[in-house]
Amino acid sequence: MKMKYVQKVVLFCLITVLISGCSPKGQGPVLLEWSGYEQESFWEPYKEQHPDALPVFSFFADDSEGFAKAKSGFAFDLVHPCSSWWKLYVDHGLVQPIDTSRITHLDTFYPDMLAMGQFNGQQYFLPWEWGYESILVRTDLAPDIPESWADLWDPQYSGHISMYDASEAAYLISGMSLGIDPYNATPAEQEQIKQHLIDLKPALLNYWLDYTEIIQLVAQGDVWLASHAWNDAYGVLLEEGYEVEFINPTEGRLSWICGFGIGANETNLDLAYDYLNAVTAPQSMANMGNEFYYGVASQQATDLLDPFVVEILDLEDPAVLENTFFYQPLSEELRTTIEAIWSDVKASN
Amino acid sequence: MNTKKRLLALISLPSVWLLVFFIIPFSMMALFSFRDNSFGPLFPPTLKHYQAFFASKNYLRMLAESSWIAFLTALISILLAYPLAYFLIFRGGKHRLMLLSLLIIPAWTSYLLRILAWKVMLGSGGIINSILIQFGWISERIPLILYSRSAVIITLVYIWIPYAALPIFSSLERIEPHLFDASSDLGANPWRTFFNVTLPLSIPGIAAAFFFVFIPTLGEWVTPALVGGVDGIMYGNLIQNQFLRGLNWPLGIVMSLVLMVIVSIFTILLYRFISIRDMSSIA
Repeated sequence: MKMKYVQKVVLFCLITVLISGCSPKGQGPVLLEWSGYEQESFWEPYKEQHPDALPVFSFFADDSEGFAKAKSGFAFDLVHPCSSWWKLYVDHGLVQPIDTSRITHLDTFYPDMLAMGQFNGQQYFLPWEWGYESILVRTDLAPDIPESWADLWDPQYSGHISMYDASEAAYLISGMSLGIDPYNATPAEQEQIKQHLIDLKPALLNYWLDYTEIIQLVAQGDVWLASHAWNDAYGVLLEEGYEVEFINPTEGRLSWICGFGIGANETNLDLAYDYLNAVTAPQSMANMGNEFYYGVASQQATDLLDPFVVEILDLEDPAVLENTFFYQPLSEELRTTIEAIWSDVKASN
Repeated sequence: MNTKKRLLALISLPSVWLLVFFIIPFSMMALFSFRDNSFGPLFPPTLKHYQAFFASKNYLRMLAESSWIAFLTALISILLAYPLAYFLIFRGGKHRLMLLSLLIIPAWTSYLLRILAWKVMLGSGGIINSILIQFGWISERIPLILYSRSAVIITLVYIWIPYAALPIFSSLERIEPHLFDASSDLGANPWRTFFNVTLPLSIPGIAAAFFFVFIPTLGEWVTPALVGGVDGIMYGNLIQNQFLRGLNWPLGIVMSLVLMVIVSIFTILLYRFISIRDMSSIA
């Protein structure tokens, strides 16, 4: 009798654990998405179309986290990584080609951006939002306005620089400021890039982790030069009345771009395409751009942006995107090398 | 059913739990350290991540530096927590439990929130800078207190004081009050009583407090990431880097295993100093 009681207890506990592990699941598509992008104004047409099958969001804070989640078997219908990870998703068979005939607003996309989402002759990702990474300067505090990425190494700014804790960007900036093509660097040049980053360490106040942190640091005046800050931080500081400038370095600003792909094992393609069409509608894109001060992937959406957003993105100048340095897809090998370099830089004294 | 069987039944659930959710995943982790990359097959196994770890002097140096930070944090926490626990026991009177609760209550708020509060205090626009300027000790605001190794230690000590105070509190509480009477009857002054009676009897509590602080601090990464700046980076940040942004899980596992071996050595040392019976009655 007593053993039976114990067995019941064991069974009860196991069931409780299993139930608590499951959460009620909606009928809609599962999105592997950056947190903050679940706002309804970004996908309103979908809600009107399918009020009973709302999307389910699973968040990641970082592209590598999203990739690890996808790779370890998480079933998703749509995923929203950034361009340097797109090729890895394709190579690992995690996404399927997009049937472009089902994309309503296909002809509104910027052709160059659309082309970045193509691999092996097929469209795997639809670009959605983009932004710059450059040096954000407190013009009232910095003795001079830097003109290039190389100026980060200028001793007059020492102690007042904060750098984003991002391996890839750090690697690219160091390479560009040395005049090395970072995507085609030899091992000796990679060693140079690493040493250059180690040399910069004493001049850094810290490595910033998220955008609220860098906004605070610049607002407090501790940081004069925020390296590879984004235009959203610039927009926020401008709006609050700080004297800041977002420079256009001679080597070019860095630009990131992110977009949507469809999971390889997608079961409800119809809902996935409806969501894609809702999110890529010009008004949805523009709602996101106006909210985050980001660029958008179609001309029609750009036309709907607030003048303030157009101004901080320098979009009055149609040539502006030609002078920026878009992140390129990384091979697995180069990504591993860059991570090893960054880990060594952080651990060095 | 005899006692033995009942005991077996009772411990079976926690044992299964430990096996399924700790031992099996942990063994899998250890096996993954021999994989070529985060997602590759296990065969053929490779030692390259172990080689990479020991070939880089930086990782081991960082581990040594983190141990030093953890040691300092534990030492300072105990130095500050001991008088606190002493006061609660010998001067707290009937309010001692209420006072102890007051000490612990801040520990219930989010860990992150408390670290962020220190950012507000230590920052260049913060309270400490304002005080220094008020007294004319510095002429302009300095961000130096934040984003340094000192900031990491200051923040960690603050976090750990209540945890260090608890085992010391328990060990002081267990001292037989008659011993103090006996000591003063024999002519010892309060200082002598403290050094010859109180302190030796509270050593198990001090040792427990030391390891309660030292072991978690050794693998710490949130605090250095938030207040540490470039110099304050700890070993835990490197591990975190491998697992998250770096996506090099095998190397991250190697680094974690090395950390675990070191922590195990310290734990064994701990048990040599104090018996398990002492520990269980304290913790």
